[in-house]
Amino acid sequence: MPHLTKSLLLAILLVISAVTCFGQSTTGTVSMSATVSKFVEINSGGAVTLTGNSGGGVTTDGVLNSPLAVSINLGELGPSNTNSFVTAQVPLKLRSNAGYVLSMTGTVTSSGTTSNRIGAADVGFGLGTISRTGTGVNTSGTDTNATSGDPTLAANGSVNGTSGRYEFTAVRSNLSAFSSATTALNGSFIMNAVPRSNGNGLTVPAFFAIKPQFFENGTTTISVTFTVTAP
Amino acid sequence: MRLRLFTFAFLTVLILAVAPATFAQALDISSGGLPTITGAVNGSVTGNANVTGDLVVTINFGEVSPLNTNSVVKVVVPIALRSNQPYQVAVSMSGLTNANSEALQASDVGFGLQNPRLLGGAGQICNQSTHIVRSPFNNDPAVSAAIGANGRVSYPSTLASLSGSTVILSGPELSKNNSSKRQQSDGWVFDAVFALTPQFFVSGVSSATLIFTISPGPNAPC
Repeated sequence: MPHLTKSLLLAILLVISAVTCFGQSTTGTVSMSATVSKFVEINSGGAVTLTGNSGGGVTTDGVLNSPLAVSINLGELGPSNTNSFVTAQVPLKLRSNAGYVLSMTGTVTSSGTTSNRIGAADVGFGLGTISRTGTGVNTSGTDTNATSGDPTLAANGSVNGTSGRYEFTAVRSNLSAFSSATTALNGSFIMNAVPRSNGNGLTVPAFFAIKPQFFENGTTTISVTFTVTAP
Repeated sequence: MRLRLFTFAFLTVLILAVAPATFAQALDISSGGLPTITGAVNGSVTGNANVTGDLVVTINFGEVSPLNTNSVVKVVVPIALRSNQPYQVAVSMSGLTNANSEALQASDVGFGLQNPRLLGGAGQICNQSTHIVRSPFNNDPAVSAAIGANGRVSYPSTLASLSGSTVILSGPELSKNNSSKRQQSDGWVFDAVFALTPQFFVSGVSSATLIFTISPGPNAPC
């Protein structure tokens, strides 16, 4: 290789080294990433409505958009209560960024000792009309109500012709169907891309009903837990 | 042998003599200091704390579903610029192309340019021209965020405001001296501000890459 060529190559290398040492650049890079996890929540949809009661009352009421923690005293459930049903309507509010499943578990504990005590089958249950309204709500989403709705509807129960006991006979219309976690409602994502501060969501009333009858005297405790998940 | 040495020496001197003239037109973009992040859950930002280091920043906004109860995730990336001629800075973006409109979109990431200041307290101050943050990027998106009619958070400028290579800044020369080396204190620093409000986005992981490029800009006398 001619010496002149060698010298030129060396000189070019020097220039390249010089530029490298100067460390200048006309570009810079900013890479970014973000994660969105599935999110679901259940809160109170507002105040509880208690009807047909004799005595009793709402001990701890629901507060809109606050964690659901309601306590209700249904009052007298024997024949001295002459109303057709004692009904508690508990508004629920659900929100999610993914398809959701609302399940429920209910237990009924009575101080009675005979089959005439209040049992899970004597506590009617159902979810009412589902509402997806308001800014930021996926109003075109669909929901499937696995219950039969308001348990006091004539179609959902009747007096047993043999035993004479009133029974909630429709599909998933009483708490005996929810002795373990059982789906009550499911549907598509509820919220569009809006901040959590948006107060809207899916609302649905949960109905609980007992028909006053000649139950064995005593006290009964009904405990219900709602759980929403995003499978 | 003597001729070879002479040739080599001559070429070296020639190149070194020409180099400063060439480098005197240098345009440079680098880190302007350590980037910061606030409001993040499981998020982070990494970059070069040294202003003579390259601008290579990695932002992880972390969780931006409602699981993050902070009002906004804000990232500030200081960018140092040096030039001895009028300049402009352009940004191009790749990525962040979610088909689902309820998933994170480029328009959900606020992006603005703020807080111009002298690098290390020194740099060229021109009286005849100013540094111009091009519309609509002259804002702090974390402060100027608003709720749109559809309930979604909006910003005056976002990553969706970038179309191809978009000029976001231009101005007169930035450096006093003609050194082609990165100085600790001879240029300007601007903060690139990114804001992302946690929302009910469709779940998933999103990513994007921004390329900042400095190049000769429109005439801007100093």
